[in-house]
Amino acid sequence: MLQDAIDILQAHPFILALIKILIVLLVLSGIVAYLVYMERKVLSFMQARLGPMRVGPWGLLQPVADGIKLLLKEDIIPAGADKFVFLLAPAVSVMAAFTVFSVIPFAGNFYISDINIGLLFILAVSSLGIYGIILGGWSSNSHYPLLGAMRSAAQLVSYEVAAGMALVGVLLISNSLSMVEIVNRQQQMGVWNVFLQPVAFVIYLIAGLAETNRNPFDLPEAESELTAGFHTEYSGFRFALYFLAEYTNMVVVSCIAVTMFLGGWLRPFSSVRALDFLRFAPVAALVGAAAFVLWLGLKSLLPLERYFFVALAIACVLLAGLVAVPAVLNAVQGIFWFSLKVLVFLYAFIWYRGTFPRYRYDQLMAVGWRWMIPIALGNLIVTAVVRYFVSTWA
Amino acid sequence: MHDRVGWIRPMGFTDLVRRVFLVDLIKGLRLTFSYQRPSATYTEQYPLERPMVAERYRGAPRLNNHPESGETLCIACNLCSIACPENLIVVGWARTEDRKKRLTTFTYDLSRCMFCGLCEDACPVDALELTQDFEIAQYSRQGMIWERQALEEGPRPTRYTR
Repeated sequence: MLQDAIDILQAHPFILALIKILIVLLVLSGIVAYLVYMERKVLSFMQARLGPMRVGPWGLLQPVADGIKLLLKEDIIPAGADKFVFLLAPAVSVMAAFTVFSVIPFAGNFYISDINIGLLFILAVSSLGIYGIILGGWSSNSHYPLLGAMRSAAQLVSYEVAAGMALVGVLLISNSLSMVEIVNRQQQMGVWNVFLQPVAFVIYLIAGLAETNRNPFDLPEAESELTAGFHTEYSGFRFALYFLAEYTNMVVVSCIAVTMFLGGWLRPFSSVRALDFLRFAPVAALVGAAAFVLWLGLKSLLPLERYFFVALAIACVLLAGLVAVPAVLNAVQGIFWFSLKVLVFLYAFIWYRGTFPRYRYDQLMAVGWRWMIPIALGNLIVTAVVRYFVSTWA
Repeated sequence: MHDRVGWIRPMGFTDLVRRVFLVDLIKGLRLTFSYQRPSATYTEQYPLERPMVAERYRGAPRLNNHPESGETLCIACNLCSIACPENLIVVGWARTEDRKKRLTTFTYDLSRCMFCGLCEDACPVDALELTQDFEIAQYSRQGMIWERQALEEGPRPTRYTR
């Protein structure tokens, strides 16, 4: 039976790809939904309040409630709106956001495809997401969305240049545009690219914040500025799609930063044998998660919540036991480290939102064109020169 | 230079370093990170948690009884009724055989009460007191008019989990 399955999979390779795509799509949608929850909780704790607490134990069912609410809302299309484009715009945003995941390697052996121009593909497709914003703002036939869309599009285009140049710095070191190859080079060199290209890392991080319209570059969608920017006129499911696209973009930027600068699925210090005990990090993480969940449960006010959390803690401990099996541990290594690093980045995004004031629009553009691009160019020149000398002397 | 109004110091080397390495931004990040501890969370999860009410809070009225004898402290002097700006207190009294005034009925209309506390201040024997109970919503207007029995019972606080 198993042999038959393997034969079918080898005869029709697109079936395996289809399965992988389905897995990535489902897992990603779940992650994005709970990213919204995580943002609300983390942001509230930073603001000395509790966030969603009522909808499920500690508000865990809030994304479900939000999803249901958005699906049941009335679908309003403004009078005089360009109907076809109005309907098309969120789909374009979501498409651009999700397509990038086809070339991101989540682990050494788990990626949907590894094309040898992966980086170029990513930059190109994520630029298409800007269309979703412009089309949405224009077709809404209203001045707030139009202004928000124009500002957002200009901001995104400007910071695309800086982000691209920062990534070219990594390209100069890695000799390849393929994402898997870039991570493999980091493993061969034994050092993550962030230590070789720190300036490019910082620039990519800042440009990534601006690319996803996140604080401190979120003027186009700040409520106090433009009511809601380009998605003012959208309601219900279409708004949910825009929301989904924005948070997916956040995950995309984090994944790219992790792959290019932080060694993708590699363990920290992967070439140092002495630190091999770090292989047990997934087990430790699960046990730590169980302890944390237990502590939360003990602080709970309702007995039902307490039972739920104790059950969750026990499940985490059992999962830790399962992961401790060497075969599973080796299989889980790559995806664990990748997820951990991406989570750190996502937490950083939320942290910045809770801390920094917003840039005014002209300050935003000034930073993008007068500081980011020259510094990125300078970084490129220095990298090229250093590389030339290293290659001629080595 | 220090006495010139609006003089902005030109950027020195330290300032440049702080700008380049985003020192102030990182200090801000540390501050917001430190707010994530449970002791910094200010939210009160009412109605699961008991809310913090000030001691001097003017809430639901209560007619106090003598702690030992259990008889009402009210001497039916009518001062609270006179003090009330809304005229919502009606004190009923009768003279008993020993020619003393005794309280018979005491009607307090909570729907018009503004909880100013003038009745509480006016009472010479501290019989009428505004307690800390704020959960006094009723389903009908009639339920907002409290008789002596309800007033003597005192507040009916919700049982909180914590």
